[in-house]
Amino acid sequence: MVSQKVTLTNGQGFHMRPAGVFANAMGKFSSDVTIKFNGSDINGKSLMNIIAACIKCGSEVEICCDGADENEALKTAVELIESGLGE
Amino acid sequence: MYKGIGGSAGIGIGKVMLIVEQSLDFTPKTVSDTDAELQRYRNAVSKFCQNTEQQAEQLKESAGEKEAEIIMGHILMIQDPYMNSEIENSIKGGSCAEQALTDICNMFITVFSSADDELTQQRATDVKDIKNAVLSILLGIEEQNISDAPKGTIIVAKDLTPSMTAGINKDNVVGIITEVGGKTSHSAILARALEIPAVLSVQNITSLLKDGDTVIVDGSDGIAIANPGEDEILNYSEKRNAYLKEKAELAKFIGKATATKDGNSVELVGNIGTPEDANKVLECDGEGIGLFRTEFLFMDRDKTPTEEEQFETYKKVALIMKDKPVIIRTLDVGGDKDIPYLGLSKEDNPFMGFRAVRYCLKNIDLYRTQLRALLRASAYGEIKIMIPLVVDVEELRSVKAIIKELMAELDGESIKYNKDIQVGVMIETPAASLIADILAKEADFFSIGTNDLTGYTMCVDRGNADVAYLYSPFQPAVLRSIKHIIECANRENIMVGMCGEAAADPMLIPLLISFGLNEFSVSATSVLATRKEISKWSKEDADKVASAVMEMDSVAEITTYLQSI
Repeated sequence: MVSQKVTLTNGQGFHMRPAGVFANAMGKFSSDVTIKFNGSDINGKSLMNIIAACIKCGSEVEICCDGADENEALKTAVELIESGLGE
Repeated sequence: MYKGIGGSAGIGIGKVMLIVEQSLDFTPKTVSDTDAELQRYRNAVSKFCQNTEQQAEQLKESAGEKEAEIIMGHILMIQDPYMNSEIENSIKGGSCAEQALTDICNMFITVFSSADDELTQQRATDVKDIKNAVLSILLGIEEQNISDAPKGTIIVAKDLTPSMTAGINKDNVVGIITEVGGKTSHSAILARALEIPAVLSVQNITSLLKDGDTVIVDGSDGIAIANPGEDEILNYSEKRNAYLKEKAELAKFIGKATATKDGNSVELVGNIGTPEDANKVLECDGEGIGLFRTEFLFMDRDKTPTEEEQFETYKKVALIMKDKPVIIRTLDVGGDKDIPYLGLSKEDNPFMGFRAVRYCLKNIDLYRTQLRALLRASAYGEIKIMIPLVVDVEELRSVKAIIKELMAELDGESIKYNKDIQVGVMIETPAASLIADILAKEADFFSIGTNDLTGYTMCVDRGNADVAYLYSPFQPAVLRSIKHIIECANRENIMVGMCGEAAADPMLIPLLISFGLNEFSVSATSVLATRKEISKWSKEDADKVASAVMEMDSVAEITTYLQSI
């Protein structure tokens, strides 16, 4: 398993569009993707779970990827968040 | 007349088309052939996705890409791997598709609506929309078709579903009235994108109006008038034309730089009271924040907000505004703004008493907390600190000394902040105006607060009807003061702005341009109109007006002249 901490910089945080962009991108990997935030584990491939977690702009989250393509998945996840999730 | 919330500005006059809500009730049953039920559910979902894609196409045409994306999000939601597997598992366990869908959707509706964040709460509506749309398919209910509504239709519905909105022909539908929804609901967003006037949250309107009734929808004021008289129709038709004309005029200024006719750029920024307002300023094309009042953080609670809480709030605004300037005013308590737990005692003359920076410098722990939060947030954007009610340069020096101490503290803790953060003063008292030359040497910027400056200069409480006639920024005393403040700032080459509503006053704008104001801070909704006014004036023309005005000796003469040009 690989993981990395990253801060959300897009204005709206993990909302509909950004969460959709993220879940969609993560769905393409076979690895499990978990977002650790505020003590809970969120399924990184589930748009609904990401929205429910209410992760706001400026929050620090930890992305954990576990599986065959974990390195690539983590790299994509971090790049997506750092680039503002398509906002 | 019915009162509601103005969801989309403008005026529409037309005839009612009532959308009757269909019952989506069903009798839950246990299913034995779970495979067939699963297939039934999957078919319904794929029909839903197909419909939604079609609606998105329609919306892309009528309302634009962004709005189409909102409903495309519904496809993502229904196909969400977690949600989908929960529903399918429930069907495999023997639930009928209707029940499984309802249970899981309701769970998400509860979770989303109990979030402490407005945007997440709104997602509950999306889930509700999805649930109802898929249920309709499962139950074989056809939705009322509004795509062939005749010209001049006012849609009246309990709520607008996305599929309904997608079917709206914006050439024929001239207004929308609903029983639910607020300014940020999807119905409101879509109505605005379609540029159809809408009044939302009008109680019981679907039972108060019937098909064919004539109605006026005033989305700007949030009212609807049923069966209006001829006078009212005439009056509102005129209002409608004026609104459309003004709107077309202002639209030309979206995305344009703010500059005078002869090409001198000035900054045009917004005043805000909460972080969410910053989004509004951006939507209205504001170039930054000229005044963020921090009082809301301290109000409606029983103790002061923590450093962390303040930091998050300031950071949020900084991040929303990206690299644009954000001027944050430190706590301006006292005067007419009482915050009970701060223990301000009753004074005979609160406006001349213990308030704003005076209070903060005596309650140093509270002030240090706020300033530390501001410094920490300055690492995330272009934050500037503004001190209210300064009357003595020593006050500015004291605040700067505290900031210096806090910077050393943060260095020690290796916490990031902007080492070159600007510290400015609000000029809102005759004293500050008279010593503007002294203050300009030590402040990084000025912002003129016209409301208090006018009140203190004229010695007038504008809330007192007997003396309110004296309250005007066009009083020669106030104009001289403003001119002097701007000149002092220009001499020291520091930025000088104005953050009262006067900055958006078309009559004052030529004077401000002539005096040399660098920054206009207005409410979000005044941004485009102010940009337009500024663009009308060249420095030369503004100078002519200003020199004429400064020769005049009374407010009556000045305002009559300014109205005539």
